[in-house]
Amino acid sequence: MASANDHQTLRQVLFVDDEPDFLRLMQERFGSLSNGRWEIHSAGSADAALEVLKQRKMDLVVVDSNMPVLDGIQFLGLLSKRFPDLKKVSLTAFATEEKRSACLAAGAELFIEKPRSEAGYQSVYAMLDDLINWAPQQGFQGMLRRVGLQDVLQMECLGRNSSVLEVYNEHVLGRIYIEDGNIIHAAGGELTGVQALQRLLALPGGSFELVPFEPPPQRTITGPWEFLIMEAARLRDEVASQTPRDEPQVDPQTLAAPTAASVRVVETLVCTGLGKPLYEADCADVPARVLLLKNIGRQAQQLGQVAALGNFDRLELQFHNGRAIAQARPDRLVFVAVATVAPTL
Amino acid sequence: MSASPHPWLTTRAAPPGMLACGWRAPDGTFDCHSLEEMCPVEKLKKILTQFDAVRGALFSDQLAPRWSTWCFEHGQIRFVARADGWLLALVARPESDALAKLDPLSWEFLTLPTGG
Repeated sequence: MASANDHQTLRQVLFVDDEPDFLRLMQERFGSLSNGRWEIHSAGSADAALEVLKQRKMDLVVVDSNMPVLDGIQFLGLLSKRFPDLKKVSLTAFATEEKRSACLAAGAELFIEKPRSEAGYQSVYAMLDDLINWAPQQGFQGMLRRVGLQDVLQMECLGRNSSVLEVYNEHVLGRIYIEDGNIIHAAGGELTGVQALQRLLALPGGSFELVPFEPPPQRTITGPWEFLIMEAARLRDEVASQTPRDEPQVDPQTLAAPTAASVRVVETLVCTGLGKPLYEADCADVPARVLLLKNIGRQAQQLGQVAALGNFDRLELQFHNGRAIAQARPDRLVFVAVATVAPTL
Repeated sequence: MSASPHPWLTTRAAPPGMLACGWRAPDGTFDCHSLEEMCPVEKLKKILTQFDAVRGALFSDQLAPRWSTWCFEHGQIRFVARADGWLLALVARPESDALAKLDPLSWEFLTLPTGG
């Protein structure tokens, strides 16, 4: 039974979708997963959603990106104007990079594929719940709690780099292969593919290093890296209480021992194109960094006009003790800095 | 400024995939070398001039990179600024051998005797 205190923290979530069956499913699944902590509202159209929003303050609105009449992207833009503080998520049956960019540019905090399995529902629920509880000053602490391997992986993907992340501690040794910004393979102990990636990202400690790309023995992973990392973050929280002694042992002959310097992420900031922080870690002055990123975007435009080398992708900065990548795109601003750390072995 | 480009620009800084290379001296003179038509000397001079304005607006004592690489769809521009006022620009094709040379060339430039 809900207590008075429960009512105070009951989260108001509105799902907007033109498919009644899907709305019913959302009610059932997320109602169950939230254990009564979410009050779930439904609207079959943009008009109906606006009516609900007039009557009640929502913590989160989840919009289907493919709605008739006023489509999801247009509706997100409308919501951004009318309710600038409202958290918005776009849910789609068919994710494309174009649609993702459009939804994020229209103000969605997250762009997520509709779940198709029980694990998918759990993953989406974890993401949405983290977003609801996220306060801008705190960053996505609940979703990506630890700064480290995930951030380096994110940096490599955002930078569309090709590299191999070697991960090691006393129990697990593994590799994550990134090609042109896509995670294509992971191996750790007896595991490969997504399972290995999740296990490596769930490590409670250890070290890693970035080494030049080499083709993997096989390709076991497909799909958007954002979803893979977020899913791994959710699973990491689940296994956090488990003992690391369960980690599989790895044949040390399959991987080279680290000899080069490692890197440590010292600052991460991911914002919407308008500069609204989505994820922040160890960024001492977020407004100043957002200003820098916007400035980089402007300067890149001017430099690009002179150079005539096509669209600007990123700025890479090399410092005496590390490097940073800055991206300034219409749909997102990103700044990730890493410091070089001397090897400990 | 000499009539022909500095030998370092024509030999060391001209690997396959490099579109152009050149620098601006502290006295404002340019020494630029074009390797492909799409990046002629005049364009490189404009790029160097534009970056000079850009770096003032972006970088400070708190954010002072040793070098910066601006990555565009059809090429990357590496800028290396020396404390004595020399500014190098290397323009390379994406996915070319020249990209792997950008770091070694940048290091070389930082200690290169430029005669200035």
